Amino acid sequence: MPRNFRYAAISGSIALTATLAGCSSLTPTSAETSGDLVVRVQGMPPATDKPGLALFKKQVADFEKAHPGIKVKGSTTVFDPLTFSAKLSGGNVEDVIKVPLTEPQRLIRQKQVQPITGQLKEWEHFKEFNPQVLQQLTDDGGEVYGVPQNPYAQGLVYNRELFEQAGLDPDKPPATWEEVRSAAQRISEKTGKAGFVHESKDNQGGWQLTMLSYAFGGELQKQENGKYTATLTGEPTKKALRLLKDMRWKDDSLGRTLLVNQNDVIKQFAAGQVGMFMGSPGTYRLAKMQFGMENTDAFGAAPMPQSGGDATLTGGDIYMVPKSADKKHAAAAVEWLTFAYAKPQYSTEIAAAQAKALSADPKSAVGVPTLPVFGQKRQTEINAAIKPYVNVKLDHFKPYIGGLATLELKPEPPYQAQKLYTALDPVVQAVLTKRDADIDSLLAAAEKDVNAQLAADQK
Amino acid sequence: MRSLPRTRSSRPMTLLTPSRSPAAVSKGPVPKSPPMRRRRGTGARKQLTAWLFLVPALLVFGLFAWWPIVRSLLLSFQRTNLVEPAVWVGLENFRTLFDDPLLATAVGNTLFFVALGLLIGFPAPLILAAVMSTVRRGAGVYRFLVYLPVVIPPVVAILLWKWFYDPGSGLFNSILGRIGLGPYPWLESSDSAMLSLVLEATWAGMGGAVLIYLAAMVSIPGELYEAAEVDGAGIRRRVWHVMLPQLRSVIGLLLLVQLIGTVQVFTEPYVFTGGGPDNATLTILLLIFRYAFQDGEYGQAAALSFLMVLALALLSAVYLRATRSWSTS
Repeated sequence: MPRNFRYAAISGSIALTATLAGCSSLTPTSAETSGDLVVRVQGMPPATDKPGLALFKKQVADFEKAHPGIKVKGSTTVFDPLTFSAKLSGGNVEDVIKVPLTEPQRLIRQKQVQPITGQLKEWEHFKEFNPQVLQQLTDDGGEVYGVPQNPYAQGLVYNRELFEQAGLDPDKPPATWEEVRSAAQRISEKTGKAGFVHESKDNQGGWQLTMLSYAFGGELQKQENGKYTATLTGEPTKKALRLLKDMRWKDDSLGRTLLVNQNDVIKQFAAGQVGMFMGSPGTYRLAKMQFGMENTDAFGAAPMPQSGGDATLTGGDIYMVPKSADKKHAAAAVEWLTFAYAKPQYSTEIAAAQAKALSADPKSAVGVPTLPVFGQKRQTEINAAIKPYVNVKLDHFKPYIGGLATLELKPEPPYQAQKLYTALDPVVQAVLTKRDADIDSLLAAAEKDVNAQLAADQK
Repeated sequence: MRSLPRTRSSRPMTLLTPSRSPAAVSKGPVPKSPPMRRRRGTGARKQLTAWLFLVPALLVFGLFAWWPIVRSLLLSFQRTNLVEPAVWVGLENFRTLFDDPLLATAVGNTLFFVALGLLIGFPAPLILAAVMSTVRRGAGVYRFLVYLPVVIPPVVAILLWKWFYDPGSGLFNSILGRIGLGPYPWLESSDSAMLSLVLEATWAGMGGAVLIYLAAMVSIPGELYEAAEVDGAGIRRRVWHVMLPQLRSVIGLLLLVQLIGTVQVFTEPYVFTGGGPDNATLTILLLIFRYAFQDGEYGQAAALSFLMVLALALLSAVYLRATRSWSTS
């Protein structure tokens, strides 16, 4: 019996050791069995988005045909800042990642992505990229780190139906924040729904306060002698918060649910419970495709209302190559970025073919306005080419498109924007949940805290 | 109350004490060398077998518990983005940590959660178990209902309660509204957010404690209650002078387990409020999570984790000391 035990113990140990040793082989590698270089890319639409997925697969087939020796393996994985670093460290990240515009500067600063300027410049139309869009993907040395898709400027999204019910003209959305305030109060009184909703958690409270502050003429960060400091106590930011405070405590027009992030707001908006919120035309896709908004005719978009700033915040999706990709994979990844994202946004033929394919499904959203990736002239040509396939009510985006030209498009605070947002979230929450919130001292405390962190990071 | 035979046994404790072979305690004459060699040889083989059996456990613990702990301790003295080589920064992470005003907020909030947990979450299962122990019919149904929340995945339960707490159309405000109360902001106010978290946590975690109390209560000899009754003790005195003293060791044990558990609260503030409003539900674990995964300050996160481990080790020492004294009493 002891011998049997010993054998059992030995076999058990060997089996376990082998299993643990085998763990390392679980790490997805780009080992190519057929001799082809396999590039793993994020950005593949999920199976529920049938037209999007079909288009993606066609793009992959076309790319592989045009680039023999390279295979593209799509991934539906969504970039998650919470797990990204750990995955990158373990070599588990795809060769192409898709991130929102809030992330590139942080990833560049943390050296988690690699520059792609050299190879991207080889593309003949590289110089035609909209510099305002490219600026946010570029480091101080001028190196470019990604390719943008569907860039947008933040505006005011509103429910046209609730506007009508409240006796407001849906074709004349509020142009100033005073008008927003009175419209919100009216919607709230007449319909019982939230007139206006401001996001307040998961750093999105700080993010939205930033765009609101821009509309009042604010700046949340400045650079002096090469060092960045937060400037949260400016009068425009205070005015923005005073407006929110009045809407919450004097008008009671912000609804009952105040601790919300973007998804919560769009979900409520899709259900017809919200009159207005700060968002982009792209939220139309989320409302329709993710949160099942049925009455999409009620979706209206206006430029960001202004109270002295004449500016708004920009956003969009960016495709980048993480540091973990080796030279060969990085080169193939940039080929893919140029083929799949840069060219279709430049070529009227490709854009039209893609729009045609997408419009076959009534659940898709074709024609949602974006900022020009390559200058206004090229965007006008693209818009004309896809016009026959547009399935969103462009009339309802007219106020947005018409008013955009007069606004300055501002990027996020360039250094550690997320830390600013983390510090501002509680400020927004305090204003929304405490009647006696002292805006001046809240902002002063947040500025002090965040500047201590920024100073430590810039040592 | 029912009387059941005492079921407590001292046997299990012997399993925790190191056993010695009969030969080792034998007072008889020492055998001559050949048997000694044989025994030594057998002992070595036995030891080898024991070690071989231990290898899998050691490997698993080493790889998935001890190595990460050591690595995390090293990390608390480094600055890294997990991609480039880590830089040794000495105590800087700890200094930055103590400069962060949110640390005091997080510690205060965590202690507040622990205190509210003791005030609400701790007596609730005891009271419920005392009531349930008197139920004669359908006891199984009540036990099932009380234990049910433990089976529900925590995030699902929290999302359910999030709807209960919704200030607009939530269940609680709807019910309270019918009797003319509210609406209350629940999670939306710094004053009530933590209390709301504790209520859900109490509901979700009570089942296990209720069952343990019930098991302990049925093991209290019925004669004690009868004797107290004969002496003229009412229900209150029977609870105070018979039931609670008999449950002393279980109460103490659950108290310490709850303390350690509540200090590590994370899921509730993370899913319910994200630490808000105005940092009113920011706990230590949530702050560690923010440092690591939001700010990318892994060193700082490791430093705070290390400090928390120290505090919990202290609490555990108290726990071990207390349980040792109970086992000998």
